[in-house]
Amino acid sequence: MIDLFEKIPILKRIVTLRVFPYLIILPNIFFFYLLLFAGLFGTPVGNRNIIVVFVWILWWAILIAVMVPFGSRIWCTMCPLPAIGEWLQRMTLTRVRPGETIRGFKGKFFGLNKPWPKRFQNIWLQNIGFLILACFSGFLVTRPIVSVIVLGGMIVISTILALIYRMRTFCMYLCPVSGFLGLYAMTAKIALRRKDPEVCKSHRGVECYLGSVKGYPCSWFQNVCTMTRNNYCGLCFECVKNCDAGNIALYWRPFCSDKEIKGYDETWKAFIMLGLAFVYSVNLLGPWGIFKDWVNFTESGKWLGFILLSLAIVLLCVAVLPGIYWLFIYWAKKLSGNKEVSLKNLFIKYSYCLVPFGLLAWIAFSVPLIMINGSYIISVISDPFGWGWNIFGTANFSWKPFFPNWVPYIQIPLLLMGLFYSIKSTYEIGQNIFSDNKQLVRSLIPITIFLGAVTLVFLRLYVG
Amino acid sequence: MSKKILIFFLLLFVATVGLIAGFWGVKKAKPQERNFTIEARQYAYSPERIVVNRGDKVTIKLSSKDVTHGFYLEGHDIDAKIRAQYPHFWLRHPSQSDEYEQVDEINFVAKKSGKFRYRCSITCGTFHPFMQGELIVEPNFLYPASVGLVIGLSFACLFYFYRKET
Ligand code: SF4
Ligand code: SF4
Ligand SMILES: [Cu+2]
Repeated sequence: MIDLFEKIPILKRIVTLRVFPYLIILPNIFFFYLLLFAGLFGTPVGNRNIIVVFVWILWWAILIAVMVPFGSRIWCTMCPLPAIGEWLQRMTLTRVRPGETIRGFKGKFFGLNKPWPKRFQNIWLQNIGFLILACFSGFLVTRPIVSVIVLGGMIVISTILALIYRMRTFCMYLCPVSGFLGLYAMTAKIALRRKDPEVCKSHRGVECYLGSVKGYPCSWFQNVCTMTRNNYCGLCFECVKNCDAGNIALYWRPFCSDKEIKGYDETWKAFIMLGLAFVYSVNLLGPWGIFKDWVNFTESGKWLGFILLSLAIVLLCVAVLPGIYWLFIYWAKKLSGNKEVSLKNLFIKYSYCLVPFGLLAWIAFSVPLIMINGSYIISVISDPFGWGWNIFGTANFSWKPFFPNWVPYIQIPLLLMGLFYSIKSTYEIGQNIFSDNKQLVRSLIPITIFLGAVTLVFLRLYVG
Repeated sequence: MSKKILIFFLLLFVATVGLIAGFWGVKKAKPQERNFTIEARQYAYSPERIVVNRGDKVTIKLSSKDVTHGFYLEGHDIDAKIRAQYPHFWLRHPSQSDEYEQVDEINFVAKKSGKFRYRCSITCGTFHPFMQGELIVEPNFLYPASVGLVIGLSFACLFYFYRKET
């Protein structure tokens, strides 16, 4: 593991600048409002409007294929959505206002600063929100105005919530993007962690978590001294500013280093994400007109089909896929011959096997998005609103797939890589569950068959 | 056996299973003439999938049920414009020219095997970017070969981990 802060000292100097977040958030906000403007006043034709082309082709592909696997939640560092709310809470752009609004935490905050109800301190609401959005994804990716409503709605909700609840409550418990960012960030190459636990122990102030004059408390409620996973660290780097001992590192580590799924909410997130990768591959990348009619019910009038399809999607993600997985887990336990291991424990722990594969299935899904529809990016930058402009002279660049014959040659290795990382990670997780290697490998057989079968389903869709 | 050599042999094994599975799927068939009529509508083609063998002489007639659609066949340098209510349509070969020529049918010999998608190339409405169909030219070597790779990789992983501590 390499500490990037040590390797590239300037990196640490940049992220500990008080203005750092705004150096990237502000340009991003400006651009984001331009997108919203385009969605509101530009052409309603999705592939000619910059909001649809940039958000659902460019941003999505970069997010899932680059930012998450390499940069963990680096998107959250620059996310424009909660910025207004956070600014209102702090009432200052860069300074830490002295005071103590929330007991124990440094800093003066505006708003009610309530704690989020205990019973919702998990990612179930995100799971539900994401599933609902997924049912309407056909509109999201084709209608500019729907993107405006959803993205604009997220700004409004996050801002209101910021005034009622403390810190990044919206990001932690509601943002629909957050759940999968957190889940798949576990695979990421970078990780922010404390270096030496002894230094933390001898240092009682816990400024990294509680804040100091140099920085805000962790607005993601993470104590970096004890943090072992990437899931809920929004990479705001406040803790780095707070830590006088310089005990925080930004590690560059092997893929899939965090392997611990902690509860059913995270397990179900993994089911939902894998299920949706399949659903989108069928609906959007498949040749079947009937699904497109159902997804697009306002135009086709087939609302009954839409309801059925939505039910099928929800059932697949919350019941069918978990049910099949449960059967394989049951088989894995039986085959291992170990009676002490609890089924529940195995079910949750081994569900990480869906994470590397799920991420790579999403990346494989996004390959044709860029290679086939990427040329819309070229025409839309010259005519972002579809008003007949021609800023860079590329407005009439006609749609042309880039090397479409290569797509399967990229998708197949991606899926194989996902399969490999999933089997390997499950083996490593099993080492903490089974003491006997034979039992462990026997328990791995059903999981491997399950993962192999899932891979074949995707291969059938992409190259079959 | 050192770890590196073991991994090398396992990779060799995976590749071999892939190749065997790939060639397993190959069936010899005599070249035939194939005629298809494909109808485009918002946002799909019917039939959505056509299957031919390598060497077949393929003839495709195109029509549209509603608005103007495109027909861009990957890997074949074919792009057509289909207007509703016309018995003929317009064809161009993008690598040669941007101009369309009026034709009654598309003719080509299926020389390359694999999966080729035909996609709408003229914005025809909301779901236009996702409007597509599939031409399969058998033997679609890549599909059975990738299935073989999945099976080979699964076995290789299990074997590797089984050996690890014994
Ligand atoms: S959790 Fe959501 S709203 Fe919050 S920073 Fe990340 S993407 Fe943005
Ligand atoms: S642990 Fe908290 S303060 Fe530190 S970078 Fe992550 S979110 Fe920010
Ligand atoms: Cu069309």
